[in-house]
Amino acid sequence: MATNAGTTGQLRRRERTWGVVFVTPIAFQVLLFTLIPVLIAIVAGFTNWNSIRGTHDFIGFANFAEFLGDKYFWIAAGNTVYMLIPIPFYLFFGILFALGSHRGTPGSTMFRVLFLLPYVSSIVALVVLWKWIFNYQYGLVNQTLALFGIQGPDWLGDPAWIKTTIVLMIIWKMVGITSIYILAALKNIPGVYYEAARLDGASPVRAFFHITLPLLTPSIFFLTIVGIIGSLQTFVEVQLFTDDGGRNYSAATITYYIWQKAFGAGDLGLASAAAFFFALLILGATLVQFRLSRRWVYEGD
Amino acid sequence: MKRRTLAVALVGAAAILLSSCSGAPSKADDHTITFMGWGSDEEIATFNTMISQYEEKYPGVTVDYVTVPAGDFATKLQTMITSNQTPDVFYLQPEKVMPYADAGLLADLSDFVDNNDLFDPSNVWASAIDMYRFDGATPGRGAVYGLPKDIGPFALAYNKDLFDAAGITAPTADAPWTWDEYVTAAKQLTTGNGADKVYGTGNYSLESAVWSNGADWLNPDHTTVTVTDPAFVDALQWVADLNLVEGVTPSPGEESAQVDYDRFVNGKLGMMGIGPWNQGGLWADADFQWDIMPWPVSPKTGDEAIWYGGIGFAVSNSSAYSEDASNLAAFLAFNEDAQRTNIEKGQAIPNLIDMANDEYLTSDKPPANKAEFIRIIEDYGRRATQTYTYNSDWFTLFNTNVASVWNGEQTAAQYTASIQEEMQQMLDDGIAEQQK
Repeated sequence: MATNAGTTGQLRRRERTWGVVFVTPIAFQVLLFTLIPVLIAIVAGFTNWNSIRGTHDFIGFANFAEFLGDKYFWIAAGNTVYMLIPIPFYLFFGILFALGSHRGTPGSTMFRVLFLLPYVSSIVALVVLWKWIFNYQYGLVNQTLALFGIQGPDWLGDPAWIKTTIVLMIIWKMVGITSIYILAALKNIPGVYYEAARLDGASPVRAFFHITLPLLTPSIFFLTIVGIIGSLQTFVEVQLFTDDGGRNYSAATITYYIWQKAFGAGDLGLASAAAFFFALLILGATLVQFRLSRRWVYEGD
Repeated sequence: MKRRTLAVALVGAAAILLSSCSGAPSKADDHTITFMGWGSDEEIATFNTMISQYEEKYPGVTVDYVTVPAGDFATKLQTMITSNQTPDVFYLQPEKVMPYADAGLLADLSDFVDNNDLFDPSNVWASAIDMYRFDGATPGRGAVYGLPKDIGPFALAYNKDLFDAAGITAPTADAPWTWDEYVTAAKQLTTGNGADKVYGTGNYSLESAVWSNGADWLNPDHTTVTVTDPAFVDALQWVADLNLVEGVTPSPGEESAQVDYDRFVNGKLGMMGIGPWNQGGLWADADFQWDIMPWPVSPKTGDEAIWYGGIGFAVSNSSAYSEDASNLAAFLAFNEDAQRTNIEKGQAIPNLIDMANDEYLTSDKPPANKAEFIRIIEDYGRRATQTYTYNSDWFTLFNTNVASVWNGEQTAAQYTASIQEEMQQMLDDGIAEQQK
């Protein structure tokens, strides 16, 4: 007994040592590249840190007052909320596609690969591609519309259309990865549930709404959380599709605003303050979602 | 065994991570200076050759040449400045001279310009060096904070074949076209429909129109936004009407679909503004005769006007080896071989006046009327208005939203009236920022 306990204790200790060894590098990484920079950014938000002028004096809440009083910040905030629009669409199409390919429809593997391509491709390449697809005169979209006698809009230059273009692109980019997640979740649903339902005389539609959908809710919840955070951080599309955030700042998002302040104007203090504020908003939104999730996410009995 | 190997690897990785934080030791005599810029592959190759020559000439100095994509340059430079890693020599745009010099980031090269053995300042275009002068209040005067990489006069190019076919003779320097003559010619050149559509002219330079009409974005002190001045409004409307009323230039949508340069080399555009940096491309792409001509003038004043731009080499004020850095900047700016390469590749006009006269003007490659470029540099060209202000937000704002005039949603008068106040606010903010 005694020797046994001793061996177990030794084993435990050894395991713990190895655990620490394994965790150390990533802990360092988190500390050096996440926690410390975040702390610096929070502190910087209360200073007039400017990379060109080299100033860094504490100025209290002046930065917060400045961006909250800046109409461009609010335009950017409105545009950022707009970027949430794609989420229900790609969730819907993603689920639809997952259901379709789950049944082993011929060619579904090929479609899976094709649908995933946009997600694994470089966003820069995608934007270049889309610039051509949505080219006012020679683009695929407007050429197709022209066949029906419709003059398509200036998708990239017109402030009324640029956000729509970005939304379409996000949907297109995200459908594939969404369907892969949902597909994985579908494969995890035990077949016995469906057998039992069929024996009880449930129609396939009923089985979908009472078995499939509830069991998919954890995945849908995850995708919603990740999707909202991703949408709120939309940046590259704006930077590459437009000059200076588009006419009347029509495409600029908060992330773009922060980037412009930090690297256009060198105003790191103001940018840090806006980033801190924005991070709090995202955190708040995520907490609210977790709260609401209790009502609709199935977590087992 | 496996686990031990892994542990060793991890510890090793951590050690590398930590050691990379401390700088490598350097010998006292031999030292390295950093030069940061951007450029095409060709340009980078030219710079690498020049840098080897520099290192041969100044033994003991090694140049670390860092290239960054043009779009990332400002971000990278700012990050380096923030972390006190400012490159010893770096590219500097004329509009950055004022904020950077004001912040004490740039070395004053005035003494170096007057006393150096690499170049004779009187043999360099005065306007090219003046772009990097700043006396603490007004850009363009006082101490020199940069040496020119090049000076880029913006000229009006035309497709000679299209001109000949339409029976049009291009104007000469002593008798430039008026705006009316220009529109008449552009109308004659505009033909066809759909894919065969040929437009008389590409985007007209708004600077040229505004300045030639006797107006400007700002007053002479650069403290008041003057875009509501009737002379400004008329010039802006005239440029917009080239598409909206006359139909001689592509609409904004068509322009976004195919840029002027592509239209021009496809023979679908009669006239287009170009800089010396376009020459090489046109040699390769244009299978027709082309040349450059003077910019048309406002009938109201008859004054010629257009902008010239450029990029400079600045030396960091915090450079530990400012003499070597200054020498490198001068070497890159005025090295004869490199200047000659610029002529051969059609990338730039030589910074050295004698070389421009002896080798550039006498070269038999197009444009035939190279003297027009020189006339812009020496005679009627101006630096852009936004290079006179501490920040150019007011100008960016104007430019981003002026599209509503180009596509006819607003008249020039409506637009300038609606935007003037906000531009003034931004200009005031910049002035206040500088005076802090």
